[in-house]
Amino acid sequence: MSISEHLKRSAILGLGISMLLALVLSALLFRAEERDLGLQERQRLAVLQANALVLAVADTDAEATRKRVQEIQKLDPQIESVIIVAGAQLLASTRPEDAAPRQLRREEKPLFDLSNLIRTARETNRGEEIVRKKTIQVEEAAQGHLVVTMPYLAAGEFAGIMQMQFNLAAADVGTVADDTVSLPLLMLLLALLAGVMLRLDAGRRIDFAKLLALAVFLVIAVFYQQQRIGRLEQIEKQDNKSVAASYLATAEQFDRLGYLPLLRDPAVVNLWDTDHYQRPRGLIGADGSISVEAQTRQLGKRADFIRPILWVIDLLAVAVLLMFVYGYAARAYAAFKAHIDAYIYVAPAMIGMLVLVFFPFMYGITLSFTDTTLFNESLPFSDRLIGWDNFKAILGDFNIYQSTADGISWNYQNFYWTLMVTVIWTVTNVTVGVTVGFMLAMALNTDGLKGKAIYRVLLILPWAIPNYITALVWRGMFHPQFGVINQVLQMFGMEPVAWFDGVVSSFITGLATNGWLSFPFMMVVILGALQSIPKDMYEAAEVEGASRWQRLRYITLPLLKPTLIPAIVLSVVWTFNMFNIIFLVSGGEPAGANEILVTKAYKIAFEQYQYAYAAAYSTVIFMILLVYGFFQTRITKATESF
Amino acid sequence: MKQPLRIILALGTFLLLGIFTTAQATELVLWHAYRGAEKNAIEKVAKLYETKMAGTRVTTLAIPYDAYADKITASVPRGKGPDVFIYAQDRLGGWIESGKTVEPIGFFMDEATQKQFLPGMMDAMTYKGTVYGLPLNYKSITLIYNKALVKNPPKTSAELVKLAKSLTNADSGRYGLAYWYTNFYFHAALMNAFGGRVFDKDGKLVLNSKETVASIKQMMKWYKQDGIMPTEPSETLVSSMFNEGKVAMVFNGPWFIGEISPSVDFGLAVLPVIDEAGKKPMRPWLTIEGAYVSASSKQKEAAYDFAKFLASEEAGLILALEGRQLHTNAAIYKDKRVTGDVVLNAFHDQLSSAEPMPNRAEMTMVWSPVTTAMNKVVKGNATPEAALKEATRTVQDSINALHKGR
Repeated sequence: MSISEHLKRSAILGLGISMLLALVLSALLFRAEERDLGLQERQRLAVLQANALVLAVADTDAEATRKRVQEIQKLDPQIESVIIVAGAQLLASTRPEDAAPRQLRREEKPLFDLSNLIRTARETNRGEEIVRKKTIQVEEAAQGHLVVTMPYLAAGEFAGIMQMQFNLAAADVGTVADDTVSLPLLMLLLALLAGVMLRLDAGRRIDFAKLLALAVFLVIAVFYQQQRIGRLEQIEKQDNKSVAASYLATAEQFDRLGYLPLLRDPAVVNLWDTDHYQRPRGLIGADGSISVEAQTRQLGKRADFIRPILWVIDLLAVAVLLMFVYGYAARAYAAFKAHIDAYIYVAPAMIGMLVLVFFPFMYGITLSFTDTTLFNESLPFSDRLIGWDNFKAILGDFNIYQSTADGISWNYQNFYWTLMVTVIWTVTNVTVGVTVGFMLAMALNTDGLKGKAIYRVLLILPWAIPNYITALVWRGMFHPQFGVINQVLQMFGMEPVAWFDGVVSSFITGLATNGWLSFPFMMVVILGALQSIPKDMYEAAEVEGASRWQRLRYITLPLLKPTLIPAIVLSVVWTFNMFNIIFLVSGGEPAGANEILVTKAYKIAFEQYQYAYAAAYSTVIFMILLVYGFFQTRITKATESF
Repeated sequence: MKQPLRIILALGTFLLLGIFTTAQATELVLWHAYRGAEKNAIEKVAKLYETKMAGTRVTTLAIPYDAYADKITASVPRGKGPDVFIYAQDRLGGWIESGKTVEPIGFFMDEATQKQFLPGMMDAMTYKGTVYGLPLNYKSITLIYNKALVKNPPKTSAELVKLAKSLTNADSGRYGLAYWYTNFYFHAALMNAFGGRVFDKDGKLVLNSKETVASIKQMMKWYKQDGIMPTEPSETLVSSMFNEGKVAMVFNGPWFIGEISPSVDFGLAVLPVIDEAGKKPMRPWLTIEGAYVSASSKQKEAAYDFAKFLASEEAGLILALEGRQLHTNAAIYKDKRVTGDVVLNAFHDQLSSAEPMPNRAEMTMVWSPVTTAMNKVVKGNATPEAALKEATRTVQDSINALHKGR
C-alpha cells in the first residue's frame, strides 16, 4: 500500500485513536479521583468520630476515661476498638484480650513510636508557628476498616495517643448512580462517524476537513470531561451531606450520654470535622448545616487540580490526531514496515536510553512542578504539586541589585546574575581555549620543527591529568600568602593579590584553570585540521604574491572552519556546565558571586535541601541549552553545505 | 570423567549446606565508612559479636565516606541497605525529617544503657525528644602544640596571646597560633565560650546575637590587633605550617594527629579559658558518631542488640585501643591502657568543656552563609554585626523555604 492510500484512512484512524486515548486517560483519572473521594469520605467519617471521642475524654481522669470509652464503643457498632497509649503504657483498651492499664509488649513498639511521632508533629507545628506535620494518622487496615491515631489530651496537654479502629464498610458513603460504559462508547462512535465522513487532502497545509477533525475531537473530549467533573462535584456534595448526617447522629448520641454539651449554635466552629492537621474544615457548621461558600471553594480546589491534567491529556491526544491528519503516522508506518530489521537493531539502545536518560529526565521535570524539600518528600505527590511557582520564583525575581548609600550592591543570589556570570564564563573560556590552542597548533605545524613529538606530548599533558587534581593544584597556587603566583608577584616587587576576595580576581582563577585544561583539546583538533590542508594551496598563494596574513585569512581560517565550529559548539556546552572547576577552585567565592548555574543548582539541592527548586533550576538550564542547541544545528548545517 | 563429577557433587553439597545454614542464622549487615585501623577494629568487634551470639552473622561493609550519606538516603527509604549503620549526628535531623530512614529505638533502650555513656552523648542521638541512636565515638578540637617551642601550654587567653606574640614573626612566616578560624566549625569553640548559639531550645535561629558578635570580635583581635595568626587559613595550611615548625600551637581534632610529621614532638592540652568572656572555657563542638537501626531492617531487635554491643565497654575498649577512636562508653576511661594513652586522654579531658553540635537538618543551611560572613569580616569588608545580620537573613530564608505550611 502506498502512503497516499494510508492517508485516506488517516481521518478515521486519527480521530478514533486520539479519542480512545483521551477517553481512556480521562476515565482513569476520574476513576482514581472517585476512589480518592471515597477514601476521603470514609476518612472524614472516622476522623469525625475520633475527634468527638478525644474531646469527650479530654477533661477526665484515667478511670473515667476508660469507662467513657467502653460505653461509647458499645453504643456505636462502627467502632471496633479503642486504645489509649501513654508513653510505654497501655492506658485504656476496649479489646477483650487487653487488661489495661499495662506496659506495652515488645511487639507493640510501633505504638510507642507512633506516640512519639505525633507528639513531635504537634510540637513542631506549635514551635514553628506554621502547620506542616500531620497530627492525625489514618491507615486503611483492610477494605473499609480504618485505623485513626491522634493525640490524646489530658487537661489540654499532650498525654499520649488514642487509636481507634472503625468498620466503615457498611457506612453510608455518598454515592451517585453511574453508567461508565455507554457514554464513552457513544463518544467514540461519534468520533469514528466523523472520521468516515471527512475527506482529507494531503497536499494542503490547512483545509476545512483538518480543522473540522480537530473541532470534532475537542468538542467531544471537552463535553465528556465536563460531564465527569460535574459528576465528581455531585459526589462531593453527597459526601458533605452524609458527613453532616453522621455528625448529627454522633452528637445526639453523645448528648444522650451526657458527655458533651451539644453545640447547636451555627456560629461555633465544628471541631469534629477536621483535616489531618486537626484544622476544622469549616464545611459543616456546629448545627450540621453545610456552608455553601466553603463547599464551592472545596469543589473549585478539586477542579483546579484536575483541569491542568486534563489539558495535558487533551494536548497529547491532539498531537496524536495531528500526526495522523498530516500523514506523519502513515509515513512512519510505511518506514517502519520497510526497515523493520533496522528498528530491531536499535531497540536495545532505545530501551537503554529510555530507562537511563528519559526516565530520570522526566522525573526531574515533574519534580520541578512540586514543592518537594527534604521535609516533605514523604508526602503523596498530589499534595506537593504546585504548578509553575518554582519557575515564577526563578525567572520572575528581578531583584538583581540594590542602590545603597555606598553605591550599587549586586544580589549575587539572583538567577540573572548567575546567568550573566555563566555566559561570561563560557564566552571567555572558549575564547581563551581556541586562541591558545590555535597559536600552539600553528607553532607545532611549522615544517622541520625539532622535537615536535615531545612538545606535543607535553602540551597534551594538562588534558590527560584528571581535572580534579589540576583544579586543586591551581587553587593552592592562588593562595594569597603561600601560593606560588603571589610569591612570583612579590619577587617582582608587586603587591600580593587576595585572589578569592574580588569578584573579578576570583573569576580569573577559574578562567586560568579552565583555560589550562581546555587548550590541549582545541590544539589537537586544530592541529589535525591544519595537517589536512594541502600544501600546494599555500604554494600557489605564495606564487601569486599573497602575504602571510592573506594566507592565514583566506586559506587557513576558511579551511579550519568545518572542524573548528563543531569543536567550539561542543566546548560551549562543556564549559557552560563545567562544575568541577568552579566548585573546586573558587567555590563561587566571594559570597557566591562567581557561582555558575550548575554549581548553584547543586547548592540549592544539597545544602538547602530544596529539591524541587533545584530541579526547576536545572530545567531552566536545560531550556537554555536547548535553545542554544537549535542555534547550533543551524550553524552546523551551514558548515556542512560548505 | 569421574573426578570432575565428584568435585561438582561435593561443591553442590557444600553450597546447599551453606544456603541451609545461612537461612537458619540471623544475618545482620553493618555499614560504616572506616578505613585502616578503624576498619580492622570494627571488623574485630563484629567477629566477637558473632562468637558471643551463636547463630548470628554480621557482615560489615565499608562505604567510601563521600558517598556514604547519599547511599543511605537513596537506599534505606526504599527498603534496601543495611540493618545497622554508623554516621555522625549532623545528618540525623535530615534523615528523621524525611522519614523512613532511622528507626526510633527509645522503646528498646533501658536506663542502664542510657547511663553508661559520657555526658552529652545521648543528646546528640536524641531528636525532638525521641532517641534514634546509640553513640559510639566523639571528636572535638583541642589545643595541640609543638613541644620544642612551647614548654607550658597556656591556660587562659591572656597567656595564649602573650606566648603566641613571643613566637610570632610575620616577616619570616612564623606564627604563634593557627587554626581554621574562618571556618564556622572551628570558630564555634569561641562562640560557645561567649554563650552564642545557632538555635535556641525551640529550634529558632538565634545566630545574630551579641554573644556571637563578641566571639567574632575576639577572633579578630587575635588576627588583627595581636597579629598572632596567619591569613587565609585552611586545613592544609595549618598542617603544613605545624609540620615545618612555623606555628607553635594549633586548635585541631584527632584526625590531625595522623598528619603530624614524626619529626615534630607534639603535646596536647585543653583549650584555654577566655578572659574576655568572663573566664569561660572555649567549648568546641562535638561530632558524635552513632549506630542507627535502619528503618527498613527486617530484624530490628537483633539490629538494636548489635548496636548496643558496639556501644558496650567490651567493644569500646577494642575500638579505642585498636581503632584509636574516642569511644563514648564512660567505663573505658577507667582502664589503664586508655588512661595511659596521651592522645585519648587529652581529648577525654577536653570533653568536660565541649558540647554536641546541633543535629537539626537546618544546620546544613548554616555553614556556607556563616563562613561567607566570617570571610567578609576577616577581610575587612563588613563589620561583625552587619555580616551576621546578612548571614542570618540568608539562613532564615532557606529555613523558611523548608518550613512551608500545608
